Amino acid sequence: MNQREGTDGDRLFFDEHQRATVEAAMARIIPTDHEPGAREAGTVGFVDRYLSGIDFIYAKPDGSGFEKLEGRRADAWRQRVDVLREKYVEGIEELDRRSRVQFDADFARLTAEQQDRVLADTERPERQADPEQAQATAAWAPVEPALQQTSTEVELDFFLLLALHTRQGFYADPIYGGNKDRVGWEVIGFPGPASLAEVHSGRFSTLDYFAEIREHPEMEDGRGA
Amino acid sequence: MAVARKIKPEKADVCIIGAGASGAAAAKVLTESGVRVVALERGPWRKRESFGGDELANVNRYNLWPDPLLNPRTFRTSEDEEPQVELFCPVPQMVGGGTIHWQGWLPRFTENDFRLHTIVGDVPGTTLADWPISYDDLEPYYGKVEWTFGVSGRAGANAFESPRSRGYPCPPMPMSRYAQKFHEGCGNLGYNSFPTPQAALSRPFNGRPATVVSAFAQQHGDPSGTRSSALNVFVPDAVATGRYDLRPDCYVREISLDERGRAKSAVYEDADGDLVEQEADVIILACGAVESARLLLLSRSGRFPNGLANGSDLVGRNVTFHEYSAAVGVFEDLIYAWAGGGYVSASSFQFYEHDDDRGHVSGGHTAAAGVGIPLPINWSLPEGPAWGAEAKQTDRDFFNHSMAVAMVVHDMPQHDNRVELDDRVKDAWGLPVARITLSPHENDLAQGRFLIDRNAEILEAAGAKKVDKVYIDRITGNCSHQHGTTRMGDNPETSVLNRDCQAHEVENLFVVDGSPFPTSTGANPTLTIMANAWRVAENIVWRRGAGTVTTATGKEE
Repeated sequence: MNQREGTDGDRLFFDEHQRATVEAAMARIIPTDHEPGAREAGTVGFVDRYLSGIDFIYAKPDGSGFEKLEGRRADAWRQRVDVLREKYVEGIEELDRRSRVQFDADFARLTAEQQDRVLADTERPERQADPEQAQATAAWAPVEPALQQTSTEVELDFFLLLALHTRQGFYADPIYGGNKDRVGWEVIGFPGPASLAEVHSGRFSTLDYFAEIREHPEMEDGRGA
Repeated sequence: MAVARKIKPEKADVCIIGAGASGAAAAKVLTESGVRVVALERGPWRKRESFGGDELANVNRYNLWPDPLLNPRTFRTSEDEEPQVELFCPVPQMVGGGTIHWQGWLPRFTENDFRLHTIVGDVPGTTLADWPISYDDLEPYYGKVEWTFGVSGRAGANAFESPRSRGYPCPPMPMSRYAQKFHEGCGNLGYNSFPTPQAALSRPFNGRPATVVSAFAQQHGDPSGTRSSALNVFVPDAVATGRYDLRPDCYVREISLDERGRAKSAVYEDADGDLVEQEADVIILACGAVESARLLLLSRSGRFPNGLANGSDLVGRNVTFHEYSAAVGVFEDLIYAWAGGGYVSASSFQFYEHDDDRGHVSGGHTAAAGVGIPLPINWSLPEGPAWGAEAKQTDRDFFNHSMAVAMVVHDMPQHDNRVELDDRVKDAWGLPVARITLSPHENDLAQGRFLIDRNAEILEAAGAKKVDKVYIDRITGNCSHQHGTTRMGDNPETSVLNRDCQAHEVENLFVVDGSPFPTSTGANPTLTIMANAWRVAENIVWRRGAGTVTTATGKEE
């Protein structure tokens, strides 16, 4: 697999073309409007770093760096990252292939409208053709509140994976390389912690966002109501 | 099986497999009564400093969840189906277990939960049964757990609660805006609602500080160490006695038998990969209902060819998982349903008790909840595309303005819903994984629809401008509750354990997690799991004194 040294010393995974393609696709998944989108949040850097190996899987909970994985855990993550890399390499090729067939140019060179068409085509046939895939879709992008992560990334097809990673890169803690300057949190109005250290030390409290009246009301007995 | 290059450890009075809610509760009671306990926990003993406010790590990257590449399970809806690898009903596998990642809603069960079969009779297709114990049997232990573990709530606020001999040690947690909306909705409909009893301290108690109200709570570990969890409370209590030898990263592969057919030892692989045999007078399983059943099934012998204590072929059967779902409402005003992690809540038991008029059996606990955990990484909302400008706008519209009213389904026990050993898939330690075979009963789906409809009405009555209902069409194990795999009962032909949670067929073997529950009830199970573990542990102490259990310390036979 191709790897190169990033300017900040991080080992990265994508070549320039792959990086430009993923960045363009992510910019359609969370587009820039009157507020920043995936491009400004740097979500491509987030996923590039994720795919670079197993050095950036878990931030240290106090924000002082990243955990070093060992043993079975490291083996599992190496295996997982390999699967994800392959999905990206093939997925990017597929985006370009569809783009050239429809619009005679690589994905990254298309207009935003054309890119949306290609992405929609990439998303849709998978949902319709294969009922099991439709289930995988439901496991990630369902009509339900977040419950627990019972879907696993390695089972997702490329488009769903890309969409999930875009959300992760937009909203996850900035330590992972996305959500630059906390723009993802600003878009949704989340007054998040200044850093992981603020949560870790127990200083981060959300009581200011509770009801003005702190006491629960005394309720009537509802029996027979 | 080849055992131990290492020196064989000294025999223990009691060996507890697992150090989660039930195992740690039992350990506290036993060690404080002078019993020497060895606890074998398959996962690590993480300290609070190892936890953080990181949704990506905790929810998406298996920092707390079992890694499915290492600890998979398989699932199928019937015997005719090919099992698929799935993280079905995962629970953190580490010291503290499920109490590591929960936000801990701790309602008590009600009197009728223990006698539902008496109330409704046979339900076709189910194995509905009364419990062999009553609410009154557990009541003192509910109080003990609430007061030692640390629960915040208001006694008497739940109009449907059964009699309690003590109040709560701490007043309710502060009222979140989503709890306030819930109260308003219930109030407008004439329903009773109450502050959700919670595994947290609303004020300093018992030498512990008040719980930090972070946004990273539900499904996150607690770096402040202020939540009520097995890790923060029961484990330190047991350690303080000097009689709790807790060994993390020790994965029990089987329970061996002696020549008299009693449980002799736990054979485990330690962190170095060495096999070690730990003998004990009494062995207690506390691995969660899926893994306790799996360990029994892994423990085959001439006497028990189909798994330990499984002469009845009931080990693993009648498994129930609940299923969590919700109606989601959007409000004009700010709800901030991420504050407090989305689970510092208000609840109602208005539709908890059985009512013949509804056309289905039993009911469930409903409560206010957040929609994200807390960020919009792992949610997606009804209608609309999952990506693009509209999806972004949805995130923006919903994050501060939406909330859920959630419920757990009281799923009915069924003979063919079961946990077995998978015959193809093994875990990273080379052992067959748990295979779950399960289809919902029609009663589960009908009850789910009914409760979700009521939840939607509560949101509407609270002034939501838009409400979406998420009905249940299958059981996915999505709330980490698991019960029933070694149900307790008085008849050895229809139960695995007796009322003391002692195996009918193996007198020194006990199970204290959710496995003994004959029914799952409509409420969050962990308070009852801990109360029952306390009761069972006290019984074991009493039996040692009365001489019915042999002890290593030479007490009378």
